[in-house]
Amino acid sequence: MAKELIMSGCASAAQAAKYAKVEVICSYPIRPYTAIMMELAKMVANGELDAEFIHGEGEHAQLSVVAGASAAGARALTGSSGVGVTYAFETYSPIAGGRLPLQMMIADRALDPPGDFGSEHTDAMSARDQGWIMGWAENPQEAFDNSLIYYRVGEDHRVLLPQMACQDGYFVSHIPGKVVLPDQSQVDEFLPPYKLPHPLDPKHPVSHGPQIRPDQGTIMDLQRAEAMLAAPAVIKEAIADFNKIFGRNYSPFLEEFMTDGAEMVFFLQGAHSMTCRHAVRHLRSQGVKVGMVRLRFLRPWPTDDVASVLSKFKAVGVIETNTSYGGATRGGSLLHEVRASLYDCPQRPLTTSFMAGLGGEMVPLREFYYMAEVMSKMMKEGKTKKNVYWVNHEFDEA
Amino acid sequence: MPYFKIPKEKEVPLACITPAPVGEQPMMITGNWRIYRPVIDHEKCTLCMNCVMFCPDACWQLNEEEDEVVWNAKYCKGCSICVRECASGALTNEYELNFADGVVRLEKPF
Amino acid sequence: MASVKQITIWARGVIQDKEGRDIANGIAAAADYEGKFTQAFDNYVDLPDRVNVPLRKYARISDEEIEERYEYENANPEIVILTDATIVKGMNVLRGMPKGGTLVVNTDRTPDDILKFVPNKELLKQVVCVDATAICGGHTVDFSGSEGGIDSVGIGAGVAAPILGALVKGTEVVKLESLSKVVQNSEAMLKGYDQAQVKTL
Repeated sequence: MAKELIMSGCASAAQAAKYAKVEVICSYPIRPYTAIMMELAKMVANGELDAEFIHGEGEHAQLSVVAGASAAGARALTGSSGVGVTYAFETYSPIAGGRLPLQMMIADRALDPPGDFGSEHTDAMSARDQGWIMGWAENPQEAFDNSLIYYRVGEDHRVLLPQMACQDGYFVSHIPGKVVLPDQSQVDEFLPPYKLPHPLDPKHPVSHGPQIRPDQGTIMDLQRAEAMLAAPAVIKEAIADFNKIFGRNYSPFLEEFMTDGAEMVFFLQGAHSMTCRHAVRHLRSQGVKVGMVRLRFLRPWPTDDVASVLSKFKAVGVIETNTSYGGATRGGSLLHEVRASLYDCPQRPLTTSFMAGLGGEMVPLREFYYMAEVMSKMMKEGKTKKNVYWVNHEFDEA
Repeated sequence: MPYFKIPKEKEVPLACITPAPVGEQPMMITGNWRIYRPVIDHEKCTLCMNCVMFCPDACWQLNEEEDEVVWNAKYCKGCSICVRECASGALTNEYELNFADGVVRLEKPF
Repeated sequence: MASVKQITIWARGVIQDKEGRDIANGIAAAADYEGKFTQAFDNYVDLPDRVNVPLRKYARISDEEIEERYEYENANPEIVILTDATIVKGMNVLRGMPKGGTLVVNTDRTPDDILKFVPNKELLKQVVCVDATAICGGHTVDFSGSEGGIDSVGIGAGVAAPILGALVKGTEVVKLESLSKVVQNSEAMLKGYDQAQVKTL
């Protein structure tokens, strides 16, 4: 019987791990994701979840432990936040290239200096080139759902890639929201048991990760590239199954909100979409033809979907809660990918980006109204004046 | 010519390098942590200096001219380690609301 | 957008962290039964808490869906609840309160004694005092439910129950029947309701 509860993103992510029957968990505390491990420790201690719970001595150790567990054939889970994610950086490529489909639950936290608990997407996004499946949940319900979907996609033999199930620290991880928990039988139907093609097994010995020559290097890289090319089809299948079994209505890559007849849209990922929807409703009631497009998967980036959806509009404002210092737009990373997706379209919208919500700052409704004004002016003048607007910190007001 | 507009109340020093506190830390006043405060009976005090030594926040200091130990109301957290360690029983715990002084009243916790 | 009623609870770190959270969760859950839209969360930067540090918990109630959900603080609390009376000396607890607010304090003193320590009392319409510690005999020190976890202990043995009862005596933010569905220790809650002293200014 489905139960509706009120719980935070951390608690719902821990519930997802329980329903997915993870077998090995490696923990190390760092705020804000630490509550996930706290809940899992409780569940393992009172017998609700039958898993090996290991304390790592650091985030690098966490990833190394679960990599070994996954290679031996166990469904493995770990997680981190902020500088913890970057501390484990060395392990991301070996795990992805080694095709170990473990999952990392990340509750974002701004990177040091100096030690800000607030949410910023840069921590997980800094690893976006390593070959992990990555996406952001906007509320605790999606944090629960994403975790199950990622295991299903990552463990599929056509993909076999590790996943980062990310959620905004504090906004999603600590503020409670409504979550509908399914029956275990529904989850069992959706998520088959984990079966790695060549696990570490003394009865059938294999070697993981021997040395290769440079002329074999490209081939190794091509394998991961192939996995990422195969992933979108697997994702579409998994989402269709998920919607059918659990009664949800997710669209695989992009969620559109009030885009019918919209001339301009906000393009974003993560928690601030909850406030953005209210801003769009208010602006629409005042006659502004605006909509919202929310990105559900950062990797694999849905190039075709982005191109076909965003080219319907005249202006796109990409809201960046991440930084790419010295990058082409001197702002964040999402605009680079949006423009690359739109480059070959015969009909291209005007694009710009807004740095908002950095450091964990809340994005109130009036900042969305400001962004809409900037985009309106942009459409009227027919050109992009600036590639990036650091909201609240620009000298001229558009 | 600066590139960005930063409101005065949101300014942060370069690389967040701040002057180090000397003597006391005015940005972290902890006097509002206490529920009980230590009260000294100077007649019983033998100046053994246990309170001065044991206080984790250095809230007892010896005033050499007056020849007595002085309590710091701004930072005392009311842990009552001094009351426990007092060798002559000169220190007792008293409920903070019994005193009109020692009000810290911060606008924000820190 | 409908207005959001904001309630701030000040508690002492570690020893009353659970009690403070129980009060916020109790108010929000009771308002939820009455069909309102609610939020209940801890102040993010006051945690991780140290023993005795003053920290805040928040509850927000509205008749319509709360649009700006991601606030870090309650800027204008109509009701301020103190689980420990000495916090009046340590913080400006009425900061941001709109005129006509309520202060609820867990103390064995009278409302006049407490008001001696509140210089901006012109913001208050009433003060409610209840000796919750005498009714319940202590705090539940339990980390269950902290940092976004799920509380598995319930609003039971500690001072949260009588304080919730006292809150309902002074204000109508939630009904007593809704609270009794949420609070485990109804006896203590009703005692708090009976013994609370309400002083109107």
